Amino acid sequence: MIRTEKLTFSIGQFRLDEVSIEMARNEYFVLLGPPGSGKSILLECLCGLRRPAAGRIFVDGRDITREEPRKRGIGYVPQDYALFPHLSVEDNIAFGLRSTQITRTAARGKARQTADMLGIAHLLGRNVAGLSGGEKQRAALARALVKKPKVLLLDEPVCALDEATRQSVCAMLRVLRQELDIAVMHVSHNLEEAFSVADHAAILNAGRIEQAGPLDSLLRKPANEFVARFMRSENILDAQAIGHIPDEHITCVRIGPVQFQIPGRHEGAVKVVIRPEDVIIEKADAPPLPNTFAVQLLASRDFGSFIRAQFTGPPDLVAHLPRTTLAAVAAGPIRARLLVENLCILE
Amino acid sequence: MGRVLTVELRQMCERPPKTCGPKDLANTPRRAPGDRLFLALCAAAVVLFVMFIVTLIVADALYVDARAVGEVLRSRPIRHALWMSVWTSCTTTVIALLFAVPMGYVLSRYRVFGRTFIDAVIDLPIVFPPLVAGLTLLVFFSQTAMGRWIQQDVGLEFVFQPKGIVLCQFLVAASYAIRSARTAFDDVDRRFEQVALTLGCTQWQSFHRITLPLAANGIVAGGILTWARAFGLFGPLMIFVGSFRGRTEVLSTTVFLEQSVGNLEVALAVALLMIFIALAAILAIRLIGGRGQFRL
Repeated sequence: MIRTEKLTFSIGQFRLDEVSIEMARNEYFVLLGPPGSGKSILLECLCGLRRPAAGRIFVDGRDITREEPRKRGIGYVPQDYALFPHLSVEDNIAFGLRSTQITRTAARGKARQTADMLGIAHLLGRNVAGLSGGEKQRAALARALVKKPKVLLLDEPVCALDEATRQSVCAMLRVLRQELDIAVMHVSHNLEEAFSVADHAAILNAGRIEQAGPLDSLLRKPANEFVARFMRSENILDAQAIGHIPDEHITCVRIGPVQFQIPGRHEGAVKVVIRPEDVIIEKADAPPLPNTFAVQLLASRDFGSFIRAQFTGPPDLVAHLPRTTLAAVAAGPIRARLLVENLCILE
Repeated sequence: MGRVLTVELRQMCERPPKTCGPKDLANTPRRAPGDRLFLALCAAAVVLFVMFIVTLIVADALYVDARAVGEVLRSRPIRHALWMSVWTSCTTTVIALLFAVPMGYVLSRYRVFGRTFIDAVIDLPIVFPPLVAGLTLLVFFSQTAMGRWIQQDVGLEFVFQPKGIVLCQFLVAASYAIRSARTAFDDVDRRFEQVALTLGCTQWQSFHRITLPLAANGIVAGGILTWARAFGLFGPLMIFVGSFRGRTEVLSTTVFLEQSVGNLEVALAVALLMIFIALAAILAIRLIGGRGQFRL
């Protein structure tokens, strides 16, 4: 549906560096990245507000790199929604239709239809100034959707909303994508938000795509340390391969004084990524198992649905534990066990 | 599915709490003594300034008698001067705005080469001593080859001509319109124009459907300043177009002529007429603007 080939753009010291991404029809794609990584600039290049220095953009196979924004068939909702303050909600929604050949009455009819779909028909006569954040968000969305774009670009669409509204808007966005059969690119720096909507995602860092693919693969198989840290894999440990088990495709590695057996064949210095939820904490007197070592609880913090606990080893670890687990093991000596099948190795 | 979604969203669209308006200020918590002193000083500045202006106008009004007012209303040359003042100042304002809007837009939106220099040149007429503006125009049209060519060969005569009044007013007053228009465009978020482009607008459409209405307040305010400056202009006119009765006389020069022949009551009556017209014009624009886009 939309594809970029080595898209390059520079502004001041910042550079979007040969960004290549691809979104299929009816796909919900989340562009993740820390603030300042170039997510909004990439979106602006896609919808034609910035002219790339090199590279190409295709929509449905058509090269739109040099097309005017109005001819691209791309809907765009900026982070601040940018509703026109001198127009009513209805006129905002119908705005894009007025530059086509349809009559004012027909435009208003379509605006009402779109507003109805988004549950804001009762706001049509209102001024933009009096709307709440969620209402503005839906009005801006209706304005972008009324022209039936092939691709919808959303720049941090829910970052200004409260948690409850955010969840319901994310659910609505997925439904809309399905009903309208459009591709959606959603920019965010929030992982929970990404998981609630995305089919696929890409992580942008300092103008470069670090990794793209299904969110689960970004989580389980990060391509590098940046992606691992961005996906909140808090345990990234330096390890040294010390040998292989013949015929079993297993490598013995040493992390500090402790030896582990990890799947695959690796040589020399590697980094072992362990997600905090893949660390099992149990009593030290449990039956002996491979890949276990003694740890001590250093600190813990309650996040409501889980407890983030820091342990000293060596190696030092962070684990996300159910409340009951920590209470049960806190009394005596404890050990950590790693689920090696979930480990990820960065060469 | 769509119906369920609609119901859910409608529930989320609760009306936001009303924002605090001026009448709610009475319900605000007690203020510290320092805050009250600060507010009292601000209010005192407003009262003193308004009283100062009103007192001066009232003093003028008390000096003028019915005979002088009658003389002003009956006098054909003064009625002509009134007409000249109104049409020249309005024409100047329209021409100034025709320059101000595109100039303000381009200076606000684009990196123009030599922008600092251009800015300084635009502001220069504001700080010109009024007489210098008149002298400059007179020298240009009477002493330079280009000025003489415009007057004699092209046939656009300005010196001691009614057209010269508009030119003089434009030179002195257009900067206010340009400066205001530029500030007004600066205040319009570019994001609005960008979104309009993605919604199917050309740059011209995004300008006239989005940017211009949003900048209208500032542009109209600049227009009022320009008109007021042009309406009351005196010094440059005396040098560049003179004050010929029934031809190039405007109300400001009438005041000067009447008081120079010792007719102080008539001069003050004309001055009051000018004040009344200016006040009526400004109030009218504010009232019309209050119903439309360009609230001032």
